[in-house]
Amino acid sequence: MDKLWVVIKREYIERVRTKWFVFVTLFGPIFFAAIMIVPGYLSVRGMQDARVNSVRIVDATGAGLGYRVAEKLVPAAADSSDAAVAARDSALTYMRSEVREVAPATLAALEDSLVADVMAQRLTGYLILDSATMAGTSARYAGRNASSVGENEQIENAVRAALLESRIESAGIDAATAESLSRVRVRLAAERITDEGKGGSGLAGAIFGFAIAFLLYMSIIFYGQAILRGVLEEKTTRVAEVVMSSVTADTLLAGKVIGVGAVGLTQQLTWVASGVLFWKLRGAILSAIGAPGMPSFAFPAIEPAVLIALVLFFLLGYTLYAALFAAVGAMVGSQEEANQASQPVMMLLVFSIIFVQPVMMDPTSTLANVMSLIPFSAPIIMPVRMSATQVPGVEIAGSLLGVALACVACIWLAARIYRIGLLMYGKRPSLRELARWVRQS
Amino acid sequence: MTEAALEIRGVSKSYAEHVAVSDFSLSVPRGTVYGLLGPNGAGKTTTIRMILDIIAPDSGSISILGRPHGDRGVLDSVGYLPEERGLYKKMSVRDVLRFLAELKGVDRRTANARIDEWLSRMGLRTDAKDWGKAKVDELSRGMQQKVQFIGTLLHDPSLVILDEPFSGLDPINAQALKDTVVELRRRGKTVIFSTHVMDSAERLCDSVCIIAGGRKVLDGKLADVRAENAGHTVALALDGDPDTAISSVLRDRALVARMDDHGRNFEIELAAGADAQELLHRIVAAGARIRRFEQVQPSLHQIFLQRVGATGVEEGMSGHG
Repeated sequence: MDKLWVVIKREYIERVRTKWFVFVTLFGPIFFAAIMIVPGYLSVRGMQDARVNSVRIVDATGAGLGYRVAEKLVPAAADSSDAAVAARDSALTYMRSEVREVAPATLAALEDSLVADVMAQRLTGYLILDSATMAGTSARYAGRNASSVGENEQIENAVRAALLESRIESAGIDAATAESLSRVRVRLAAERITDEGKGGSGLAGAIFGFAIAFLLYMSIIFYGQAILRGVLEEKTTRVAEVVMSSVTADTLLAGKVIGVGAVGLTQQLTWVASGVLFWKLRGAILSAIGAPGMPSFAFPAIEPAVLIALVLFFLLGYTLYAALFAAVGAMVGSQEEANQASQPVMMLLVFSIIFVQPVMMDPTSTLANVMSLIPFSAPIIMPVRMSATQVPGVEIAGSLLGVALACVACIWLAARIYRIGLLMYGKRPSLRELARWVRQS
Repeated sequence: MTEAALEIRGVSKSYAEHVAVSDFSLSVPRGTVYGLLGPNGAGKTTTIRMILDIIAPDSGSISILGRPHGDRGVLDSVGYLPEERGLYKKMSVRDVLRFLAELKGVDRRTANARIDEWLSRMGLRTDAKDWGKAKVDELSRGMQQKVQFIGTLLHDPSLVILDEPFSGLDPINAQALKDTVVELRRRGKTVIFSTHVMDSAERLCDSVCIIAGGRKVLDGKLADVRAENAGHTVALALDGDPDTAISSVLRDRALVARMDDHGRNFEIELAAGADAQELLHRIVAAGARIRRFEQVQPSLHQIFLQRVGATGVEEGMSGHG
């Protein structure tokens, strides 16, 4: 045990000390900060800029549509309470708009002077409403902020609402009724329902499932390759023989898999912890920089049993592939050979990841069922399935058992190949020679 | 202290294509320097790897310092310098050495103290420069060899096994290695080293074992081995190059089994049952002017050639050193 610990310690410390590890580990939190804070911050910045927006509404409809649009650009508060009004004022864009009614014939000449105004920064932009707008087909906006999707959408919504209101009114319905009829804001809130009841939003579940699959896939590739390189280094520098005069090959292999696994866990825990932290503090950070709350979705509620299953899939999946990568490393004599020889192992992984999307789309299909039971794809596919639908406990347990058995078999096989291969130099063994190695040791 | 430092009994190991070691037995007394001699491919490295439990023998048993070599902790008292040397290139010298020591069960503090001591002793740590802080691949090849050697001895092993220790060493490191072997022996340690360089074996070893084709050819104390093989070797020096008549005498298989020809000097191994006097008589009769004719103790090199046979000797052989 002492020697296993010495091997683990070396693997861990030497890897954690590298610049690459520090960089990638710190990159996680920065990345989380970026995807959580920056969009919120930017949208706030966009809104703050928009507050001083000055938009000229050129109304050539002759129907007073321009005034209605201007009105719609000033959004209403949710209710009349001070808090709601304040929230509205701070949250939403207030466009200082000025309406000018013109005759269609003078439109071209006026537009030229408006372009000059925008260029000279006297205006942010101008909106042209004409007969096409009244027909319900188009309106034109030109301005410095024309590439801002949010603001375009806001203007577009205002035009639509104004037009709708005007049409309802002209159908003989009074203004107040028209106003209330045209105020339609529907948001689709999708919620997942399982045997246990409601379980967070469907979108969150899918994102969560995909994140787990992707994280596992990435860590297997990343740390599997790290193990391969480590074994190859020990073999090519011939340090393996010195080490093996002190510890058994099995101890060396186990120490390597555990040590590198611990490095991976350290990294992922840092990422998960920083991700959760940013998620929790997001509101505080955003309001500190003057941004309001973003539309939010709840994390899917994860039961302890599911969490344990996920962690087991993660650990077993990693170990399974780590053993295979180690065996490949012991078989070959150079990095080029390693790239070639690790192809079959990589294929198993890629084969799993390409089925993630189909399984997410239809988590109850035969494909999903089969893929989540094959030991080599189960660690990636089963978590996806579990997050997308309710998987019977028996199936999860069966899948886990399958992965565990495959794990034992692969470790057994890898240890034998490792023991012999580490001291074999020269050409790469054929399958038949490999079989002999396995029998021999 | 009665049991041997190393006891190998009837060990065999075969691979698919060939038999590497066949029914090999060996007993190495404590406190001796023991040479394992043989041509390349004789099974020396396989034997050493079996001693260190790196590969398992097909049959036979091995015990170290009186205990089966597979027992827990037994290998902690063995130091090993493999023929193919290597260290973790990206680690600092100190970290590599500490790792190797800890693998042998030395605690951290003891390891650190010994590392400092050894680095100073090997000239890798001076007031001006401490190479212990450098990464292994920043060191010259000679320095790396020193570090590897320190790694072999850091845990103060009772039995030190060196596989082809002199190959690739520069003269200074070779001398340092010889000095250390002598020092180890003085401190009562047992040193086993394999080599195909007879010269270094002859100067360092108390006892030798010659192995060829996976089998033991002979073993014993160096003095005994030489005494047993004495009386069959004649040193001959001629005044002038040998003419046809003399050459035909020297090629007579009834008299001369083998001859090491240096032009005018010959180391001659007599054929079985041949008499040195008859050889002298025939040479004189052939008209040779003789400067030296002496029955000598054979060199280890000569014994090796004699017992292993020229067929067992590969190109890698070097002799007179």
